[in-house]
This record gives sequence, structure tokens and C-alpha cells, in this order.
Amino acid sequence: MSDRAEDFFAPVRSSLAGIVGLSLLGAVTGVVPFVAVVELARTLLPALDGGAVDERRVWAIVVIAVAALFVGFAAAFTSAMVAHLVDARLQLSLRQRIVRHLQRLPLGWFDTRTSGTVRKLVENDVTALHQLVAHAIQDVVTAIAVPVICTVYLFTVQWQLALAALLPLVFAMVLYVLMMRGGVEKYRQYESAIERLSGATVEFVHGIAVVKRFGQLGRSHRRYRDETRDYVHFIGQWTRDSAAWFSVVEMVTSPVVVLVYLVAVGAWLVSAGTAEPIDVLPGLLLGLGLTGPVVKLGTSGQFLRNATKAQQSLAGFLALPPVPQAASPRVPAGHDVDVEDVSFGYDEEHRVLHDIAVACRPGTVTALVGASGSGKSTLAKLVPRFYDVSQGRVSIGDADVREISSPELYRSVGFVFQDVQLLRTSLRDNIRLSRPDATDDEVERAARAAQIHDRILRFDRGYDAVVGDDANLSGGEAQRVTIARALLADPPILVLDEATAFADPDSEAAIQAALSALAAERTVLVIAHRLHTIVGVDQILVLDGGRGVERGSHTELVAAGGRFARMWADYQANHARSRPEGVHG
Amino acid sequence: MIRRLLHYSSPRARRLLVTELAFIVATAVLQGVAFLLLVPLLRALFLGDMTAVRSWLIALTAVGAGYAVAFWFASQFGTKASTAVLDSLLRRLGDRLVELPIAWFGVDRSGLITGIATHGAMFVSTTPYAIVRLIITGLVTPATVLVGMFFLDWRLALAMTATVPVLWFAFRWLSTGMGRDDAEHSAAIADASNRVIEFARVQPALRTAGDNSIADHLVENALQRQHRAYRGLLITGGAGIAAFAAFVQLALTVVIVLGAYLAVGGSLEPATLIALLVLGVRFTEPIANSGALGGGVAIAKTTLNQFDDLYNLTPLPEPDRPATPKDWGVTFDGVTFGYGGPAVLRQLSFTAPTGTMTAIVGPSGSGKTTIVKLIARFYDPEAGTVAVGGIPVPELGTAVVEAAVAPVFQDVYLFDDTILNNVWIGNPDLSRKDVIAAATRARVDEIAARLPGGWDARVGEGGSNLSGGERQRVSIARALLKDAPIILLDEATAALDIGNEIAIGDTLDAIRADRTVIVVAHRLQTIMTADQIIMLNDHGGIEEAGTHTELLAATGPYARYWRERVDATGWQLTRR
Repeated sequence: MSDRAEDFFAPVRSSLAGIVGLSLLGAVTGVVPFVAVVELARTLLPALDGGAVDERRVWAIVVIAVAALFVGFAAAFTSAMVAHLVDARLQLSLRQRIVRHLQRLPLGWFDTRTSGTVRKLVENDVTALHQLVAHAIQDVVTAIAVPVICTVYLFTVQWQLALAALLPLVFAMVLYVLMMRGGVEKYRQYESAIERLSGATVEFVHGIAVVKRFGQLGRSHRRYRDETRDYVHFIGQWTRDSAAWFSVVEMVTSPVVVLVYLVAVGAWLVSAGTAEPIDVLPGLLLGLGLTGPVVKLGTSGQFLRNATKAQQSLAGFLALPPVPQAASPRVPAGHDVDVEDVSFGYDEEHRVLHDIAVACRPGTVTALVGASGSGKSTLAKLVPRFYDVSQGRVSIGDADVREISSPELYRSVGFVFQDVQLLRTSLRDNIRLSRPDATDDEVERAARAAQIHDRILRFDRGYDAVVGDDANLSGGEAQRVTIARALLADPPILVLDEATAFADPDSEAAIQAALSALAAERTVLVIAHRLHTIVGVDQILVLDGGRGVERGSHTELVAAGGRFARMWADYQANHARSRPEGVHG
Repeated sequence: MIRRLLHYSSPRARRLLVTELAFIVATAVLQGVAFLLLVPLLRALFLGDMTAVRSWLIALTAVGAGYAVAFWFASQFGTKASTAVLDSLLRRLGDRLVELPIAWFGVDRSGLITGIATHGAMFVSTTPYAIVRLIITGLVTPATVLVGMFFLDWRLALAMTATVPVLWFAFRWLSTGMGRDDAEHSAAIADASNRVIEFARVQPALRTAGDNSIADHLVENALQRQHRAYRGLLITGGAGIAAFAAFVQLALTVVIVLGAYLAVGGSLEPATLIALLVLGVRFTEPIANSGALGGGVAIAKTTLNQFDDLYNLTPLPEPDRPATPKDWGVTFDGVTFGYGGPAVLRQLSFTAPTGTMTAIVGPSGSGKTTIVKLIARFYDPEAGTVAVGGIPVPELGTAVVEAAVAPVFQDVYLFDDTILNNVWIGNPDLSRKDVIAAATRARVDEIAARLPGGWDARVGEGGSNLSGGERQRVSIARALLKDAPIILLDEATAALDIGNEIAIGDTLDAIRADRTVIVVAHRLQTIMTADQIIMLNDHGGIEEAGTHTELLAATGPYARYWRERVDATGWQLTRR
């Protein structure tokens, strides 16, 4: 295992020795009852010829056998239990590490990640490690220790029979290796078959309403049926191919076949005079148990492969670089936001922003305007450091945002974007998320200013109603809760997506009022979509293809007759059409 | 479990399964017989009677050969059966989904169904061979040995029989305990992952909150709860397995001690005892292990339970012979409905006459969309009737309603196909030219112009290459093609996209004539020009109804609502 993997198991490493030790003890004591039966037979055999039996010896063996039975079981059980509890601890610590790491990743990481990525990490990957910690150690120890101890013992008793007992084991291992050839390739095919099937199923389920409504049921159903037929065909082929091998291995190592084989060899050795009848017993008792642990190890191979893959995926996630923090952080002097000759790209090749410069003074509103894909949202997100610039700098109060400590930065910069960020907890805690010490009065004042107080009071539990449980909010209502949160946090600098105002037409007016309250008296940077809403702002930066093409007030830009003037003319024509005749704002 | 599995299997899969199980039982019995033959064989060996050894060995080899043959067939039929079962499960799943009422798909079921179709069905199909076989062997082989024991030494046999009920109860107790804790654990897992996902989703907001925020505590508590539930499961499961295995060891101890006592006393032949002990120490292991197999059965049962749930859903009632509506007007008469919970609509009555447009407005959560869904027969009302052309919807049947209604809803699903084919679904009988013409009316041509490949550009999985507004335009185009007498329109709330608003407006103008249009309206233009406006209140009833002019003149809630909306269109972020 690599260094990273070691690091992974650090919280539980001290327990691993215990698991190995207990597994070993279990394996060793597990062999004792078998030896005891042999010894018991040796002691009792004189009785067959009418001889005397050493009674004390009989009872001593019985006591040892029974004691070993329970000790062996207790050791194996404790080892498994410890391994599982260690696994539980490891799972918790890994999930906590994932959470901690999430907290340190650049915010930009969350833009492109669906919840599926995170779900896979915390659910599937962490759980897949279970096999590695909870089972593999004991399985490996047993698979090595039991055959070794048994073989050594058998060779001391009767070497020919010992050799014969090893044969099925060797045979099984050779077959197993043969069987595994091409297994990796087949497994890859299996995974892609699963993927195709789940694609067809998702489409079938999602599209069922559409196809039913338009009487096209057969078409979509057919694709599902075709995919399932291919899938079943592949699985059938695969199991037929591998099942033949598996049954041969299983049959050769099955107790009955090994039993017949060993008894035959034993009987032959006895009648040839090479072995005493009593010497057949150890071979029979222990030879039967040689293959079991090895076969078990073989069948858990798939789980181990999954665990290894999961470990790689977790290690990959934890290796993602966190937001770099300055060694000696600076405190911003004032609330000016300056974007100085900034260029930015999500990767090396594709620049999204080129040499953009804009200065936002406290108490003014700067609007970013441009077609979708012009880079206006990206530019806005550079201020709260969702991403770091490729060239140039973004500064707050003359301090580069990269040199400001995270807590300080987020005390200065607040943002309200379109995606609603509510937690499944009380409305009160949602509002005071960034200021947990806020009093109920302060929370209420923020909620009033955000036009959501009255709505909250209509829930039976008011501010204690839990979002998603007994507080079901419409899109616009949820927006107003996040606006209340921003009001309570009261950051001097605010980055705002104006589209927030149009998330829910039925509460549009309320959100607009809330936003206007929020935008007052701050340094505001707003991503604008509807041009009429920013007629009165201090400056407008027009973006096109990631470049700043024009800058000025609404009046100035319209008078200049450039790109903005054309956009405004188009907008007015369309906007007029989308409103009822005779209604004027 | 096997019974339920047989229930969901095709006749062929059923035959294969039964044959497989028969061969499994045969292998288990033959295995028991082989073990029993060891007793006389060892006895003869210790007594040095090589002739007897040879004949017993021949008998043992014959049984062994029989076992190998049965084993081979069990595995062959097992392979065929698992493929056949997989096939029947997937087929039954697909067929059932088609029958389910559309309302069932109202929440996203794709995760559940994909889970059943991929890993669930696969696991269930391999369960008979991979798990049930081991359980059967773990029970039938010892039972065979036990029966044989009575012929060899009835005292030891009796002592072992006495432990059977104890083992049975221990096994039952283990299964129920684990089942209960497993359910608790699953719930805790779901809760914890949802918390972590939520934590990731709201990261931007949490950065403002800093370390040790409320969210940190929420996620940490959920993780701790999951940890505790998992430990609880381990401890119950561990204790259960330990108890079960301890009872097995105890049974073995009884045999060893009683056997030694009888042998020393001279009433049991040492050779028989040794042979019995060989059986005892070697073959209690599989029984002890079978305790741990219960978990696998529980996993398989989860999938079968999901199947049961699907089959227990009752579809909406359908008439034997569908009635014919006299026109396409829609009437609600005392309709109450609440998705099985608190009522969303209460005693709601109104009429939308054929050939008119009715606009529904009201605060969010007042049931506007529910009205539309009741007309489309996603559900039947809990009380009252929804009628089309004077005939209650259940008497028309879902098929008639589906044919008569063209829905334009917000959740538009697009197939991973070309943009044109996605429109074509609306009416496959039309020519490509007609489809393009209709699509152009819904302004889908703008989307086609934007995408490389034009009309034949693929829309991506679930339409991911298109914006929300663009997807709705495709939906409008489909409805235009379908040319149905009733149009149900849920106007996009993403009013942001002006192009989309205009497309909706144009389309409405084009199709209004001669059709019954019921629209959940947000656009002022739509509301104003409707033949009838129904304004809902917060309590699932009607606040006001009438035409725009009438309602404005009434200066009631509608007039206030209208004023607010008009003001909102002129909003500016800052005013100077």
C-alpha cells in the first residue's frame, strides 16, 4: 500500500495488530479440537482389542478439546468484532475527513459537482472499504495460518498422506488462477453493461409521463426491453462461462469429494502397510479443512477489488488542493473592490476572462451585463474567491483577496445567488447561520426587511419550523430567507444575481423589495439580466466574450450608441411585447 | 422468500428454479449419507477389517459420484435459473411501470427503479444459488446425519436432537434483532449522507458562517448518529451470531462429553465414537456459518419488498366501456384533494366551458398546479368530481383523457435524441416538414439554429444541452403537434427568459380558438386576456372569479394582486 493508504488507516492502525493477533490465535486454537479427536482415538483404540483405557487421559483430552473449541471460537469472534468496530471507527473518521475537506475546497469545485459525487464518496466508497478492514485481515490470516499449521502437523504424522491432502489445494489454486484470466476485462464489460441498463431505465422512468401522454409507450418501452435483453444475454454468457469453472473448483474442493479421495488414499496406504489405521485420521480431519479458507479468500477477491477502487477514489478526493491560505494574512483597509487587469480560465487552454479592470466604490452599485457565456457570472464569483485569477488581481480595500484570511474575507463579502442555500433545520437557524449569536429580535428584524416575517409566522411553529419538514417554502420564499440571512450578516460588500428576483413570479414584488433593502449602502456588484432593473445604477460594465467592451452609466452608454445601446433597444422591443398592452411600469 | 421469488418468475424460470432446488436438496442429502458412511468405514479400518473397508469405500465412492452429478446439475440449473430469474424480474419491472398511474412518477423514481433493475435484480437472481443453497445444505445435511445417528447410537442422537429447538430459537432471535437494527441503520445512513450532501451544496453560504457553524453541528451529529446505529447493529448482530455459534459449540460439547462417558463406560464402541466425533468437529462449522447468511437473504428481501410495493399500488379505476363526452368543457364539482395528506383543494367548484381560456392565479402553494393535474387525471379527487364534457373522468377512462389533453408542464422530459425527434413524439404520423413548421411556431427553430447540427442536433441526456426555457418550448411544440381539444399549460416560473415568454404568448394566441385552455398563469398578458380568471386563496378555495375587467372593478384581492404585479415589472434595483 502507498503512503497515502497508510495515512488513511492511521486512526485505526493501533488496533490492526490486535486483529491479526486474535485471528492467529483463533486459527491456531481452531486446529486443536481436531488434534484432540486424533489423540482421543489413540487413547481409546486399545479398547477395541479388549485392552484397558487410560480414563484420566480421556477426560484430559475432552477438557482440552472443549476448552480449545470455546477459546478458538472466542478469539475468532473477538477478532471479527474488533475488526468491525475498527471499521466503524474508520468509517466515521473518513466521513469526518471528507466533511472537513469539503470545507476547505475552492468554492468553484462545487459549481460542477452534482450531489452524486459526494454521495458516492460518503456512502459507496467509505462502505466499500468495509471488506478491507472488517474481513480481509482475518480472511488472509486464516487462509495462510490454517493450511500452514495443518500441513506441518500432517507431515509430522504421516508424510505420504500429508502430500495427498495438499493435492486438492494445489489443484484448486491452479484452476482459480486460470479462471481469473480475462476476469478484469469481463468485469469492465459488466460495469459498462450495468451503465447502459441504468441509462435505459432512467430514461424509461423519466420519460414515462411523456410517452404515455403522447401515446408513444411502445417506443420507450422497447428501448428498455432491448437493453435488458442485451444485459441478460451478457450476464447469461458470463455466468455460463465462469460458472463451469467455478463448479469444478467448488466440486473438487467440496467436503464429500475430498473425503472420498482421502479415505481411498488412506485405505490404500493402510492395506499397503505404509500407514497405521490411526494415521489416516489426521489426514481425514485436517485435510478436509485445508481448502475452505483459501476458497473463501478467492471469492472475496471482488470485494477487495471494489475496496481498492474506492480507496483510490477517496484518496483522489482528499488529495484535491484546498484553497491556498496566505502565510501572513492582510486585513482589508476599507470596502473598495478593485478588479485589476484580471484574466481567468477554468483550465490552462480556455480563457474565460481577458484583461478586465473595474473599480467599485463603497455605496455604489456596479452592474455586469452581457449575453450568457460572456463571463459576467464568472467575474462576479472572483470577488468571494470561488476561483483564483490566472493573471492580475482582485482586491478588497487594497488587499489581494488571496492574501485575506477566509473568515475575514467572508465577513467582508456576502453574496446572494440564484441557487437557494437552505439547511434542513429551523428557519431561525437558517437566518442566523453566519451570526449564530444574533438575538431573536435581530433575526426578526432581518426577516421583516426581507419581506418574509409574515410568511414565517403563518407556520404553526413560526421561526422554529424546520425547512423541508413543516416549513415548505416556495422558490421565492426560500430566496427571501437567504436574503434575510445576508441582511443579518450585514457584509459591507455584496455580490448579487439579479435573476434571484424572478425565481417566483408570485412573490416577485416581495423579493424585489427585499433586494432593494439589501443593496442599500454597500459596495454592490450585480449580475444583471433585465436591463430595465439597472437603469439607475452607478456604473455598468458590458462584457462580451470575456472582455470588458464598454463601461459607464446607463445614460452615458445609451448616448454612446455602442453595444449597450443596441442591447437596450432590443430589450425594450421584447420587453414591451412581453407585457400587457396599456400597462406601463 | 423462495415463494415470492417463484411468484415473480416466468414459468420457465420457475421450472428451472424448482429443478435447481431439488438438486440442491439431493446434494445435501447425499452429503449427509456420505458423512454417515464414514462411521462404518472408520470402524472397519480401526478393526483392521480391510475387506469391509473396501466394500464401504465402494459404497462411499458411489455416493460421492452421485453427489458430484447432483452438484453439477444443481450448478448448471442454478446458472440457467439465475439468468431466467433476472430476465423475468426485469421484464416484470418494465411491464409494471407501464401500468402504474402517472402520479406515481410525480416524484423522481429513477433512483429506486434503477437500483432494482441493476444491483437489486442481480442480487436476487443469484441468491438461490449463492445463499439459499448454503442455507439448505447447512440444514439438510445435519438433519440427514441426525436421522442416521439414530441407527448408530440413539442416545447421542437424542442428545443432539434436544439442541435443535434451542438452535432454531437462537436463529430466529438473531434474524429479527438484526432486521430491526438494520432498518435503523439504513435510516441513519440515509440521514447522514443527506446531511453531508446538503453540507456540500450549501458550502458557499457556510463559508460566510465560518468554522463551528450550525451546519457543522448538524452534519457531525448525523455522522455520530450513524456511527452509533452501526455499532448498535454490530453489537446486536455480533451478540446474535456469537450466541448462535456458542449453542452449536455447546451441542458439540454435549456429544463429546456424553460420547467419552459412554465409551469409557464401555457401552459405546470407540470406533463409532471416533467416527461420530469426526462428523461433529468437522461438520458443525457449516451450521455455525449459516447464521451469518441471514444477512444476504435480508438484502434480497429488500428488493422483493420493493417489487411487492410496486404490485400493491392500485391503478386508477377504468371503465369497461369508455363514455363519450358531449364537448370539451371541464367542470369541478366540490373537489377535495390533498395527495393523501392535508387537503390542498377544498370543496372546489368551477366550470371551464368548451372553447374558452381559464387562467388560474393565486399564491404559491394554493393548489394551482394540482387543478391541472386532476384534469389530466394524474390523480382522482378524494371527494367531488372532475368532469369533461359532463362525464366524470373515471367514466371516461385514462386513455380517453390522455388522448384529449395536451399538457405543457414545467418538468419537461427530453429523450437523448435529436431535437426534431423530441418534438415529433407529439404526433409521429406527421411529416418532417409539418413537424418543423409546428416547432418553428413554438420558436424551437431558434434552438435548432443555435445547436451544431440544427434540427438533427442531439439534446443530451435529459435535454442537458437545453436551458429550462428552451425545454419548455419543445414541450409547447409537442402540444401543438398533438392538436388535442384541451390544453393544460403551466406557465414557466422562470420568467427570466423573455424569448420563452414570447413563445408561450404566440402559441397561446395560435391555439386558443376552439379549444378549452386552462392555464396556471404568471404572465400578465395571459391573465388579462383570459375569458375567466379564477383566483385561489390560501385555504384551497376560490377567493374571486370573473373576467379581468370585472375583478379590477371589484377592487378586491385580485385588484391588489394585479397592482403589485404591474409594479414589479417596473422594478429597479436602485432608484435615484
